[in-house]
Amino acid sequence: MKTSIPGKKALTGPPDRGKLLIKNPFEEFGTFSYLKAEIPLDQIVQSSEEVMGRIRRGYEKLLVEEAKELVWMVQYNTIIKAYEVAEKYVKEIDYSAEDIEDFCFALENTRKIPYLIPGPAGVYLSALCNYAKEEKIVLKLSELKTEINLVGFRLPKGKHLLIEGDTGDFTGIGLEGGELAVEGNAKNWTGAGMRGGKILVRKNIGLHTGEWMMGGEIYVGGRVRGLGNIVEGKVFERDKLVYPGKVRYPNLYY
Amino acid sequence: MRKNGHQKQVMEIYQFISENLYFNRPDIEIKGERYNSTILFSLLAGLNRGKVLIIGEPGLGKTTSAEYVCSLIYQFPLGVIWSSEVSGHPEQTEEKIVGRPDLGKLNRGIEDVVWTIFSQIPVKIVDEINRLPETKQSMILDGVDRGNWEYLNEMIINDEYCLFATANYQDGGTNTIIAPLVDRFDMMVESRYPGPNLSFLIGRGKRKDHVLRHPKYEKDLLRVFKSKTAYEKKFPKMEEVCNAFGEYVYGLLGVRPLQRQDRDEIRAEMENLELDLDASAFARMLLAEFSFCERYGQKRVVENCEEGCHYTGYLCHDIKNCASNRLPTSIKQYAQGLAWLLEDSEIDIEHVKSVVPYTLAHRIQWKEGILSRKERVKRDDPFPIFLAKEAVKAVSQRYREQDEHLKDALAVGSKIFQGESLEPVEGDHPLYVEIKKDIDTRQT
Repeated sequence: MKTSIPGKKALTGPPDRGKLLIKNPFEEFGTFSYLKAEIPLDQIVQSSEEVMGRIRRGYEKLLVEEAKELVWMVQYNTIIKAYEVAEKYVKEIDYSAEDIEDFCFALENTRKIPYLIPGPAGVYLSALCNYAKEEKIVLKLSELKTEINLVGFRLPKGKHLLIEGDTGDFTGIGLEGGELAVEGNAKNWTGAGMRGGKILVRKNIGLHTGEWMMGGEIYVGGRVRGLGNIVEGKVFERDKLVYPGKVRYPNLYY
Repeated sequence: MRKNGHQKQVMEIYQFISENLYFNRPDIEIKGERYNSTILFSLLAGLNRGKVLIIGEPGLGKTTSAEYVCSLIYQFPLGVIWSSEVSGHPEQTEEKIVGRPDLGKLNRGIEDVVWTIFSQIPVKIVDEINRLPETKQSMILDGVDRGNWEYLNEMIINDEYCLFATANYQDGGTNTIIAPLVDRFDMMVESRYPGPNLSFLIGRGKRKDHVLRHPKYEKDLLRVFKSKTAYEKKFPKMEEVCNAFGEYVYGLLGVRPLQRQDRDEIRAEMENLELDLDASAFARMLLAEFSFCERYGQKRVVENCEEGCHYTGYLCHDIKNCASNRLPTSIKQYAQGLAWLLEDSEIDIEHVKSVVPYTLAHRIQWKEGILSRKERVKRDDPFPIFLAKEAVKAVSQRYREQDEHLKDALAVGSKIFQGESLEPVEGDHPLYVEIKKDIDTRQT
């Protein structure tokens, strides 16, 4: 015969898990607060990261405004408009020439900048170069896999821009008296619409060189594939003046 | 920390032993002061109810140092201590160590136990413990660990006891001390050769141990231990005789041994001392290196370390076994005792670094490669203690390089444990991995 044990509570269910307290093995460190000693390098790195962030955001805003669905056509008015937008954002940032180079590398790092569209990127880069405090800017682009177009757009008088590596199309278009040197090859439409200044390309250059060029000089250390419709100015191939000179037909064989 | 003057009393006992009874050189430096490790740690063991394994060459004072410490800390005349000592030899039996049947009562059909003095006395010395065969060593495991002595379904529990075991280096007549027994010792120290000059003085001098003898009190105490009174009821009489002996020693030698009340006050004071954050973080870092295995979850003596492990640079790669939970207990206990003795208000990293090699030396099984590589290195300490000191130095260096970061990791761990939404701090040391494991346990 079952007898009930007085005072014994019946089990009503599993114990409340929230009340099962696990001892905190780190309790004594609860009040420890780590004051990380700031070293100058930390500050430099932090400052550099802040600037890069602002430059990046400027580029992203440019893409949002100008590259609808990430498509951008190279046309005279789109270039002008994109440059105006880029100018607007670039003027608000305090940066240095090294930051511009870092931005070039960031363009290839898809984790930092998801979209590299060569046209707007070149326009933005040109705006950065034109508004930089330094007169002389060196961009080491030889490690980049992508050639950037529109580098040196509207480079103003007094600015010297040296590119180590190759450039894409429309290099130095609309140059406004600055000096642009390319230590590698340049592609098509180099110097198109330039008003003054100097473009030096150490190796080869593509087609439509100097198209609608209004002034200034283009020096090519290698071969010129083809000249465009030049209005005024000079083009040199391996120290030899090729424009104004005999008419050159484009070399279609290489 | 409230100072009750007992530190001074204990240091006087230390001075008396080192100047009059146990001649030896100081071999350890703690916070700018030099001490002899054998006397110092034996004193702390006596105060803390600890267990010490004293090793050394024959005739270098292993047993006598323990006897002097026990006599002055517990107020027992040497004659009683001598009669209680158990010597390790192959013919040793449970009846000689623990107790025997009361033959008179047994004849009348009543089972009763006559406990040995060894099992009853608070100060226990096992001489040449490694001469006990391994099967006989198992007999004393529980008694050594908890002070429980069982025989014929009867049990006595030593409320207060300390244990000293001596061991010679391996020779034809010695056995290995079994791993469970070794792990139960808090510390291992070496009773060293004092140098030819001190040794000559010892040889030239008269026998000094008679100053800690008193035939009348010895007879009274032996009568108390041999009486048929229940074990618990012997204490008041035992204390009375011990106190009388203590007064005699004070009058004769000017050094006051400790009474039961003094020892209880000392322990209460010691227990109030806590580890500071550095000491705690350092100890955790050490324990992590002696137990971690990235591949198998923890160190196990039956599992081999793989080559090319990311943690090759840490001590877990150099050892075979896992640190036991007795290790942190020993570290805390002796660091606490040391901090108390030096009148510091909390246990800091220096206290911990001083005691760790001695708590670690006998517990770690090093890989053969490490043993053969370091065996011929010039040193002052016996090999196990030397290896332990090198290990502590290595961990100490690593701690210095990242102490703030490590403490930050522990602080963040605490916050996560309390429910804050934070990411655990990353780091290369095994301890960062262990912190994450503990946090994951909490979150599941």
